[in-house]
Amino acid sequence: MAKSMQELYDERMDRYWKANHLQKPDKVPFRPCAAELAGKIAGYTAQQVTHDPDLGLDAVVKMCQAVPGIDATVVNMVFVNTSVTESYGLKYYKVPGIDLDADDSFQYIEPQTEEDAFMKVEEYDRFIEDPNEFVMNVWLPRTSKYMVPPGEQNTWKNNLAWLKNGIAIQQYFQKLGANVARMQTETGTVSSLAGALKAPFDILADKFRGFRGIAYDLHRCPDKVLKATEAVAPHMAWNCIATADPSRKVPCSHWMHRGATGFFSEEVFEKFHWPTLKMVTEQIWEAGIQTIYYAEGKWARNLKHFRQLPEQSIIFHCDKDDIYEVKRVLGDRFAISGGVPNDMLAFGEPADVKKRVKQLITDFGPDGGYLLDAEAIMQQDVKVENFIAMAQACEEYGYI
Amino acid sequence: MDIKKISDLLIELEEEKVYDAVDKAIEQGVSGREILKASQAGMATIGDMYKREEAFVADMMFAGEIMRNILNRIQPLLEKEGGREKAIGKAILGTVKGDIHDLGKDVVMIALEGNGFEVIDLGVDVAPEKFVEAVNNNPDAKVLGLSVFLTSAFPSTEKTVKAIAESGNRDRVKIMVGGAPVTEVVARETGCDYFAEDAAAGVSYTKSVYGA
Repeated sequence: MAKSMQELYDERMDRYWKANHLQKPDKVPFRPCAAELAGKIAGYTAQQVTHDPDLGLDAVVKMCQAVPGIDATVVNMVFVNTSVTESYGLKYYKVPGIDLDADDSFQYIEPQTEEDAFMKVEEYDRFIEDPNEFVMNVWLPRTSKYMVPPGEQNTWKNNLAWLKNGIAIQQYFQKLGANVARMQTETGTVSSLAGALKAPFDILADKFRGFRGIAYDLHRCPDKVLKATEAVAPHMAWNCIATADPSRKVPCSHWMHRGATGFFSEEVFEKFHWPTLKMVTEQIWEAGIQTIYYAEGKWARNLKHFRQLPEQSIIFHCDKDDIYEVKRVLGDRFAISGGVPNDMLAFGEPADVKKRVKQLITDFGPDGGYLLDAEAIMQQDVKVENFIAMAQACEEYGYI
Repeated sequence: MDIKKISDLLIELEEEKVYDAVDKAIEQGVSGREILKASQAGMATIGDMYKREEAFVADMMFAGEIMRNILNRIQPLLEKEGGREKAIGKAILGTVKGDIHDLGKDVVMIALEGNGFEVIDLGVDVAPEKFVEAVNNNPDAKVLGLSVFLTSAFPSTEKTVKAIAESGNRDRVKIMVGGAPVTEVVARETGCDYFAEDAAAGVSYTKSVYGA
């Protein structure tokens, strides 16, 4: 007799939870981070899945229906919904169909110069004093096309921006919750993440000073950089815990950027990046929540630091590193995910993908603590037949 | 003064000290071209350190910032001296259509300029026809560098290479491609000649094309 959706969901949740907690489930879970690929499968453009919350979320449900065997996936892997960001005129995203072709991916505009930076170098002290005050009174008006800072002449556009954004956020998150429920009741699939963390150093580098700004600041005002990471750290932990899964069953996400080994030296990582990242990860773990370290790029040199974290507090997602080396260094303490190269998914054939999946499951499955995924998020370049081959191979070989 | 000091201070990323050394050299009558040569030697060394993982993208960016400020200081001298010495060669760089990431491209540009190459920077989200136009307009450029950060930009990489071929200039220019998701497979499948794993590899390849 066919399983009910609830039975399927319970089975998948158990599988997902066990693998995340370093245990051996009945089957290696397939947990794809499928972004614009979901839209491709559902028949939607990048513009539709990025700008229309209904279609963006519906695409994931349709993907789970079209590709049997997805145990857990991200309900909103196209994680910036530009209906929300456009509602108040956020300047730093390029939006498909508006700034880019309809089938290009949304992208972040990196500040090029000090004039472009969302926080100026002379504003460190104000930021350190009270990051919330700085965000509300300086950063938000500066990153919005419509909002005006306190003390300046108010405008109708400012009033409408606050109103429209409030409505857009409320609508989006109501839809998000409803689609998590749809995934469960219509497809028996687990929503794989809840809550988001960014490393204090990353948020400073990405959204306040920009990469160039932070690269210069590390030489020109290193003490202020350090104090700024310390000032923003409690807010990052709080933000993550407040938006996490109340049942504590699924992990929160941490999209890791500037700690990848090519960007900065190990000394910079040890002094400016790791102390506050470690602190917030531990706080999140103390609140009962695991964190997926989605480690974009190469991290081999920094893996040893992660061993300082409490056992099972993270799931390490491997992108460009040798996943066998990651397993050797971290595999006794944390679950790992990844392993299928994106170039194989874009240019290879289903037989190549199946062979790779079989190998990964053979090598990592018996120990438990392994989740099947591509190396990087899956966008429009992935051939649908290769994605289906991943799911099929996991069903075929994953019961170990 | 010992002109090598400029190079050494640049390698150490001692920003204020290197500006002082440049100002002092100018006062002492050192030519703009000599100061530029010393600075480029420093940049080339940082590029080598990057290759050995002793310097990183952030160091390259900061070195590039210092280099720009040195150039601003010596520009009046260079103009009096008839401009810079002839570059070793010329490369065209750009991030392919559908992708607005510029960091990787800029690091390659800094590394190439530091090694004495002239670079035509087409910017980001560059359409295939813009690459074709740049190749047509720069018949002395033997290298075209494509920067790719998003896997979703693989198809536009392939389209760019095809457009260059259709323009009849494919044999005249070597195409290298690099960026976070790029691999040997991506380079081969999109029709590029070379996968530049990092900026240092891009410089080595460009040098080899020019026999430098």
